[in-house]
Amino acid sequence: MITDSPQPSPSTSRASGFLRDLRRVGLFTVLRLFGLFVTVLVGVYLTIVIANMGGKVDELRIVQIRSTIAEGVRADRAFSDLPSDQRTALVEGRVKMEIERLRLDQPFIERSFDYLYQAMRLNLGRAEHMHSDAGSRQVYDIIVERLPATLLLFGTANLLIFFSSLFIALRLSRRYGSALDRIVIALAPSSAAPGWFYGIFLILIFAFIAPVLPPGGMVEAPPPEGRLAYAASVLKHMILPVAAMFISSIFIAIYSWRTFFLIHSSEDYVEMARAKGLPSGAIERRYILRPALPPIVTSFALMLIGLWSGAIILERVFNWPGLGTLLFIAIGQRDMPVILASVVIFAYLLALTVFLLDVIYAVLDPRVKLEGGNR
Amino acid sequence: MKVSPRLLWLAVLIGAVVVMAFAFELSRSERSRSATIAAPARVDVPVGDRRGALVDQVVFTQEADLGKVSALIESGSLQVFAQGISNATVFRRLRDSKGVDYEIAYGTSAELTFNPAGARFEDGRINPFHQPEVREAFNWLIDRRYVAEELYGGLAVPRYLPINTAFPDYARLAEVARTLEIRYAHDPERARRVIHEQMEKLGASLQQGRWMHNGAPVRISVLIRTDDERRRVGDYVANLLEGQGFEVERMYRTPEEASRIWIAGDPRAGRWHIYTGAWLSTVINRDLVDNLSYYYTRRGRPEPLWQAYTPDPELDKIAERLERRDYATWAERQKLFARGIELAMKDSARVWLVDQLNVLPRAANVSLATDLAAGIAGSALWPYTLRYRDRLGGSVVIGLPGLLTEPWNPVAGSNWVFDTMIMRGLSDTELLPDPFTGLFWPQRIDAAQVTVQKDVPVIRTHDWLTVEKVAKITVPADAWIDWDAAGQRFITTGEKYPKGITARTRVRVRYEPNYLERRWHDGSKISLADMVLPWIVSFERADKQSALYDAAHVAPFEVFRRHFRGWRILSRAPLEIEIYSDQIYPDAEWIVNARVPSVSPWHTLALGIRAERQGELAFSSNKADRARVDWMSLIAGPSLAILERHLQAARDEGFLPYANVLGQFVRKDEVAERYRALTQWYAQRRHFWVDNGPFYLHSVHPVERSVVIRRYEDFPDRADKWLRFARARIPVLDLDGPLIVSAQEAADFTLRISFDDAPYPADAIEGARYLFFDRQGRLITEGDAVPTGNGRWKIALSREQIAKLGVGANSLEVAVTSVHVALPAFATHAFAIVPGARKP
Repeated sequence: MITDSPQPSPSTSRASGFLRDLRRVGLFTVLRLFGLFVTVLVGVYLTIVIANMGGKVDELRIVQIRSTIAEGVRADRAFSDLPSDQRTALVEGRVKMEIERLRLDQPFIERSFDYLYQAMRLNLGRAEHMHSDAGSRQVYDIIVERLPATLLLFGTANLLIFFSSLFIALRLSRRYGSALDRIVIALAPSSAAPGWFYGIFLILIFAFIAPVLPPGGMVEAPPPEGRLAYAASVLKHMILPVAAMFISSIFIAIYSWRTFFLIHSSEDYVEMARAKGLPSGAIERRYILRPALPPIVTSFALMLIGLWSGAIILERVFNWPGLGTLLFIAIGQRDMPVILASVVIFAYLLALTVFLLDVIYAVLDPRVKLEGGNR
Repeated sequence: MKVSPRLLWLAVLIGAVVVMAFAFELSRSERSRSATIAAPARVDVPVGDRRGALVDQVVFTQEADLGKVSALIESGSLQVFAQGISNATVFRRLRDSKGVDYEIAYGTSAELTFNPAGARFEDGRINPFHQPEVREAFNWLIDRRYVAEELYGGLAVPRYLPINTAFPDYARLAEVARTLEIRYAHDPERARRVIHEQMEKLGASLQQGRWMHNGAPVRISVLIRTDDERRRVGDYVANLLEGQGFEVERMYRTPEEASRIWIAGDPRAGRWHIYTGAWLSTVINRDLVDNLSYYYTRRGRPEPLWQAYTPDPELDKIAERLERRDYATWAERQKLFARGIELAMKDSARVWLVDQLNVLPRAANVSLATDLAAGIAGSALWPYTLRYRDRLGGSVVIGLPGLLTEPWNPVAGSNWVFDTMIMRGLSDTELLPDPFTGLFWPQRIDAAQVTVQKDVPVIRTHDWLTVEKVAKITVPADAWIDWDAAGQRFITTGEKYPKGITARTRVRVRYEPNYLERRWHDGSKISLADMVLPWIVSFERADKQSALYDAAHVAPFEVFRRHFRGWRILSRAPLEIEIYSDQIYPDAEWIVNARVPSVSPWHTLALGIRAERQGELAFSSNKADRARVDWMSLIAGPSLAILERHLQAARDEGFLPYANVLGQFVRKDEVAERYRALTQWYAQRRHFWVDNGPFYLHSVHPVERSVVIRRYEDFPDRADKWLRFARARIPVLDLDGPLIVSAQEAADFTLRISFDDAPYPADAIEGARYLFFDRQGRLITEGDAVPTGNGRWKIALSREQIAKLGVGANSLEVAVTSVHVALPAFATHAFAIVPGARKP
């Protein structure tokens, strides 16, 4: 457990103090990791149970399999003169094979623990229905194939939003009440609308009314053959979705950081620094940003792992081949291995981030110590 | 002023005729809508001596947002969108867009499925829909024109019968269809009367406008699909039921939720009464006789709903006979089918509502052949007809809602509709289906001779094939009928059936003279081995002893084996092949298409065989999952590295699969030549998809969701070979005649049949059937119009026939069917028969 109260140095010898600290750090690490593991375990199992409606989905899937196969056989003219009983037998045979393939003949509870076991081991396995765009059924390939597109788009947008908002917020915190400050405050509610909402308008304006930018996709069709031309095309296709995300998030982000910085910049020690006549740059760096750093780092880290899931609707509006679309398809097809892989990777990333943040907090903020440390 | 009663009567009669004429005009405009929207005036540049495709490049790209389509076409980013649009709002936008035109295709049919269990459910509630009379009454209760025009925004045509209105069987049975359509025309009063009678029979009583049974209101549960226009259909039906005095529960459900209830659930539990159903047809089905068994009898499907059907024994028997094709002549089939349809309407386990129209947008300066049922994605002729109307060549971008859905391989690869659409552009098949009739035309064969046993009813429409009937067809002893996987050789019928064997059909096909002189896209020459290897692979995959054995292939192969009776190569130059089978289709053209062997490049197949034998890849999804390996893809993904390795090994070894058999069918040095060509192909294209169609696969971009195909310049055919199929030649009818006919005189009516304002050739008219209905909608007389030349046809009404029709408002309906298109054209003329001599 972590407390935020600074403790005085211990009076015991340095060696025993080091060992004790090491033991405490070790114990903390083990307990923390165990706690996070249990959290991930419970979260993933809940996902399995909820996504399968406690096993009810099996029934739906069997009905769907049967209908699809029955219609497929009926539509196939090669079977058109089959007597009904033989056609039914053919359908039943195929249904049985598909049920076995998907292990729907096994009780859900048994499968659910197997899903959990495989997921926790990060054994992503094979998808049940989906393929990677290139044709692989390995869940790893399916996810990795879409990862670069997601990282590129959402990474660019989020980094842009993050650093722009920090920079502008810091400036605004010094110009509290200025016209620009009031404009930002006034525009902050615009972030109530999601990125895809602005995306629709941006597409309408810049792709159709004044057609200067493409309405969607990651690259033009067909993709340019040269690398530079390809990169230029990707950049061109990124402008609208990045702009949509930027517009949707920037004002609220500036507003939040600005408020945050305002609180920090009105602390006594900042006023003292100002009274001492320190330059404003030094005040920002040493007295405002330094103590504000842990929340900034937390926000940054969470933003980074947030890239993992992409954004389903935005990707669909912009026809962007990212992880959000992938997850959407996986949910639609009830492809458990893909859904689980997406969830379990996110859960592990989140757990790891939380753990690393604990460590980073201790490094960044001298007030943070392990419980039991000397006061 | 005193008006003579006779004059007043005449005035009323004329008024009635005018109203009827107006109503029929509305009806006619509705029916001819597809013709007018599918046939815009056009000016196409001449093709000259160009060969192969009419455009240089086609780019397929993914576009799932229907709302963007018209703007994308307007902006020139897209030229064709291959998914049918049934949303009326999107359609209106397309219609109003500049530079955007569209094609129309039929496909989905909407209906109401009834729960026939009962007469009481397990909990004791009565089920009104157990009574066939109540179900039948729904035909009168529903206003199908309202459903088509209002609920589907005009993107549908009314449908009454268990046969699609755009398919050949509807045209063939046009007079039966029209008679039944008039019999079941919207008549809510009649519906109310019948429902009232039947409800009382069930022990219910109408109290203060509400049906009550055992002191409780009769509650009808309408299971309404929410994912398309059926939501509004469900509400409409629910409103109608409430209007009839029922209490209605509206159960709005997604497809999955609904299927648990109506398909998987036990109908006796009474969880639903009516379901808003829909059925999809992806090809022009020329033989719909199965529909009776499928939709109205227990043989349709094994699910509980079908097992609750209790059709009239006569309907059951007719449906079963039709399913078995148990009829000796075509006339007998038609008679059985007509009676079956009539009984199906009385049964009405389903009440058909509309045939939906799908709009397929394209740029106004682009044209291509669109299949009447399968649209653009299912059109086999799109690669041969896609063009810019104002220029030759150029690049066309086609938007698809999905592509590269599953791995591509020639044995058991992706069969997703949009993937197969692209594949069609790459391959060149021996026969191609007419997009408007579903009949096949020869592409790579010169002629075919179909021989059937004399009890097999088969019709022939085209003259590129012949049909003969014989008493017995004996399969020659040297025909190949099986494959010995262990011995790696074909088994002949003589070996397998020493006493001989007969077949119901024999198809003798003569391929075009240069059939084996053509080249694959990689430059290698086609050989007979390309035809033989796919047969061997098919047998191997069903044989447990083979490394290619695939459990998923066994069941369909067994079906094939049941009717397959052998094949043999009669001659190599020109190539002639004979195939024996017990499987029949009503159309001889279909029999040839089902039997004629095709080619697939043996050298790419050989790489797949090697990879599957070594357990690295599998042709089918099922086997890939069982073996925990990748499903083979010849165009992208991890398969490519494996196949490349096998290409190197095969080239080094000079590998020819099943060499002791295929060795007889390859040319000298062919093996080395093939692998050399494929190596170069792969180095250049980075995929293994080698084919011989009008386009070759240029590049595949899986993550970017696009595929590029380019014109194959060495394609042997002229570019305009299939252009006559770029438009559906739906006849346009103009029926003219007297509005008032004297009961004492004969009358003549004139039918003008045209297309693009030019007379429709009489020899292209399959039938011009006229039907006279009396004022009560009863069919009184019928016959065939007589051609008088220049697109004009005469319909004569004799005095005797006039007498049968009787005095009053009558109508003449004409149904015209063309050999060029399955869609029949209708025209109506309303007239009055008055007593005495006609006024001058």
